[in-house]
Amino acid sequence: MSDKLTMILGGAQGSGLETSIQILSAGFASSGLGFLADREYHSNIKGKHSYVHAEVSSRKIPRSLQSEIDLLGCMDAETLFTHFDDIREGGYLIYDASVGDKTQGEIKSIDDRLRGRLEEKFDVMDIEGTVDSVVGYLREEKDIDIVELDYPEILEELQEKHDISSSQASRYVSSILIGGVAGLMNIEKSMIDIGVERKFEGKEKIADQNKSLIEDVSDDVKEKHDSPLDIGDTSIEEEDFMMVNGNEATGMGKLVGGMRFQSYYPITPAADESFFIEQQIGKDENTDVLVFQTEDEIAAITSCIGSALTGTRSATATSGPGFALMVEGLGWAGVNEVPIVITYYQRGGPSTGQPTRGSQDDLMNALYSSHGNFPRIVIASGDHEEALRDAVRAFNLAERYQTPVIHLLDKFLANFVKTIPVPDVGKEKIERGDLFSKGEDYKRFEDGPVSERGLFGSEVMWYTGSEHDEEGNVSEDPENRIDMHKKRMQKLEIADEEIERRLSYFGPEDADNLLVSWGSVKGTALDVIDGSQEDLAYLHIRTFSPFPVDEVIKFIEDRERIISIEHSYSPRISEVISLNTGHQIDNEIVKFTGRPIYRDELIGSIKNILEGSDREVLKHGP
Amino acid sequence: MARDYSTENWIDWCPGCGNFGIVSSVYRAFSEMEIEPENTVMVSGIGCSGKMPHFIDVNGVHTLHGRAIPFATGIKMSNPDLEVVVNGGDGDLLGIGAGHFVALGRRNLDVLVMMHDNRVYGLTKGQASPTLDRGEQTKALNSPNIQDALEPVSQALVSGYTHVARSFAMDSDHLKESIKAGIEHDGAAFLDILQPCVTYNDIHTSEFFNEHIEKLEDGDLESVDDPVEAILNAKIEDKIPLGTFYRDVDKPSFGERIAEQMSSYKDKAPAHKEIGDEDGSLIDQEKFESIFEDNLIKKER
Repeated sequence: MSDKLTMILGGAQGSGLETSIQILSAGFASSGLGFLADREYHSNIKGKHSYVHAEVSSRKIPRSLQSEIDLLGCMDAETLFTHFDDIREGGYLIYDASVGDKTQGEIKSIDDRLRGRLEEKFDVMDIEGTVDSVVGYLREEKDIDIVELDYPEILEELQEKHDISSSQASRYVSSILIGGVAGLMNIEKSMIDIGVERKFEGKEKIADQNKSLIEDVSDDVKEKHDSPLDIGDTSIEEEDFMMVNGNEATGMGKLVGGMRFQSYYPITPAADESFFIEQQIGKDENTDVLVFQTEDEIAAITSCIGSALTGTRSATATSGPGFALMVEGLGWAGVNEVPIVITYYQRGGPSTGQPTRGSQDDLMNALYSSHGNFPRIVIASGDHEEALRDAVRAFNLAERYQTPVIHLLDKFLANFVKTIPVPDVGKEKIERGDLFSKGEDYKRFEDGPVSERGLFGSEVMWYTGSEHDEEGNVSEDPENRIDMHKKRMQKLEIADEEIERRLSYFGPEDADNLLVSWGSVKGTALDVIDGSQEDLAYLHIRTFSPFPVDEVIKFIEDRERIISIEHSYSPRISEVISLNTGHQIDNEIVKFTGRPIYRDELIGSIKNILEGSDREVLKHGP
Repeated sequence: MARDYSTENWIDWCPGCGNFGIVSSVYRAFSEMEIEPENTVMVSGIGCSGKMPHFIDVNGVHTLHGRAIPFATGIKMSNPDLEVVVNGGDGDLLGIGAGHFVALGRRNLDVLVMMHDNRVYGLTKGQASPTLDRGEQTKALNSPNIQDALEPVSQALVSGYTHVARSFAMDSDHLKESIKAGIEHDGAAFLDILQPCVTYNDIHTSEFFNEHIEKLEDGDLESVDDPVEAILNAKIEDKIPLGTFYRDVDKPSFGERIAEQMSSYKDKAPAHKEIGDEDGSLIDQEKFESIFEDNLIKKER
């Protein structure tokens, strides 16, 4: 019996997939099982294919996913066509037997390029291409156990039993899938019920109908298939979990960090964070945050700056296209030494790019965007706990150095749902930096590099985007320019001496081969080095400005091989290391499809690099 | 003795600039209102009007081209006790910053917007601004303007401003009173200030304005509570009326709208809230787990 399970559950966007995964994950977590899920979807409201790719474990909380899956659960035929090839030999399939005749040609939402690939595959497989033919192939050639359920028939029974109209019945398809998964995994009914009750809180009748449907399907599957995917009782020690995605973890950190104002303009994948923060209003005096939806991202950053000038801890959250509009405001905050936090969720670019797919291609944009030069702090989080703590840290750094902080995240982390041990937030302290206490003749930019910060309401001060003197009045005098420019830039030197937690090193100290990455690659890299026979270590960079030059040099010197890993066409992290340290990184593993890096494909690519390849391009994921 | 709101900075506008009239009216209005410098913020954009804050002894924020309104919005939202006044040019507010101009009206946030309306971009040497009529050729233009003008009062009215008026930079008494009325209004107030640009606008000179201006006296307008009538009243044939065209004191301000959804806002706006105790602690473990109860899952066995 395996202690973990990888599955994909798929269906059309807006068809209830989200419900299935919410209920199942609550059920898993209530059973004490660890859980990690990636959500993949199109920039579309209803109809296009979306799926959840998840790992459940009874031994530890998963940190990464693998491309080869144990179980595929299909809400529709498109899911089968899109993912059937990923089921491992001897794996499991749940599908709707009533669509057996369907071919991919009938499904309008399938992309033409996928159509072409499927035709080629079906030719090689020598099948006609109906759902039934694919299922037959899987059963015969790959020894896959097929859980055949007739969805319309099940729904018809449900309609009769509970007097539900036929138009309502389709909403229950998600519960058929849940029942199938619960049956194969032998998840206790009481655990699934917890998930159902959470999902349908206050709707007892609907909850009961779903519970009974799930139970019926689960019992039927157990009887016929005998729960072959039971991963056993948990041995994970934690009694309590938090179940969060990256947007939520970051939002939690912002509240713990005393944020009182958040501006935003709707954009994927950042908007959910603002929505989450707004949901907390009224719960506690510390959760009453002004969440302000602006007319554009220019107003988002400039209102955020305005708010920060009043002494309010203020942030804005966006993604690449929104950040592009914020850059002029960013420079204003830099020259006026305003503590603001920009939470930057990277997605595929350039331009609109791939709005719902992940990327790490914006590192240079975060580091260097803006005309002119000013000190900025750029930090990046690799997992949910880092995201929470970094969100607190971002405000402390912004106020300590009176300068903008860019907190980089990505779509992967934003949408990864994970069970995490309840974070110990007692460790996170609020440090407000130098605040001016009432006195005579206040000058905002006096006595640098970090001046005492006065606030509107107590003193009189001036700010201007022009070069200015200590009082904040415009001055183009060359000596003043030198003094003020230096004053600002020196803050970065102080920050460089003071800032902690700038990188983490994992694995044997003297490993010959060093993986270098950042952001959400962390989990996959850690799982790969942990399970590897090779002499591998992982260097995880969390602060890019000020860049931890000496520490990075210490870790990258004298290695036989250094391999950068990144979600980009060519690793920005290699460029940044080279710029800062003069060391060239010769090997790289990249992925730019916008799909996560899976540990099995990473293992394969590392093997290729160790055998002499210098660049590997990862492609897995539909 | 009345308070002096001037600063020691040398004022570098062109001799004869309408801005002198505007800044001196601001001094007089502030003085009569006994404005508290530390509790007042003058926010400006870019251009000749953008320099205003440096010449007034209250908090000053000289922002980016077109963005004075969203800066002011953040300031006012987080600290509603501050008196916030925006100064911008016609290009600043109705050209590059037009989106924000409309947004402020939609919110009815308690801010006064003073628009320096001289129909040209002065600091960049006299290009046509959004208030210059089509067909007009001011002296720095190579050819007559081929873009239509926006009528600022109408623009403010359709955007939702609840106090809409017009004044003239060279009529200090009228302007002073208009500024006072705009500040006293509890909601988004717009004041269109006609202004000569002595260097680049040889059409809309002081003489031109003196000829075309028609000052409305109390009672001249039948009503000031109908936005459609207000649009009509803002321009009468070739005359440019000065005065208050529209006033709505009933529409809830943005602050009131926020307070309705967040009860603590009224007594403790964001800027007035403590952020952590002496120890730097804010949300302890117990509170954390209770706030995020929906994300918390207890193992059941």
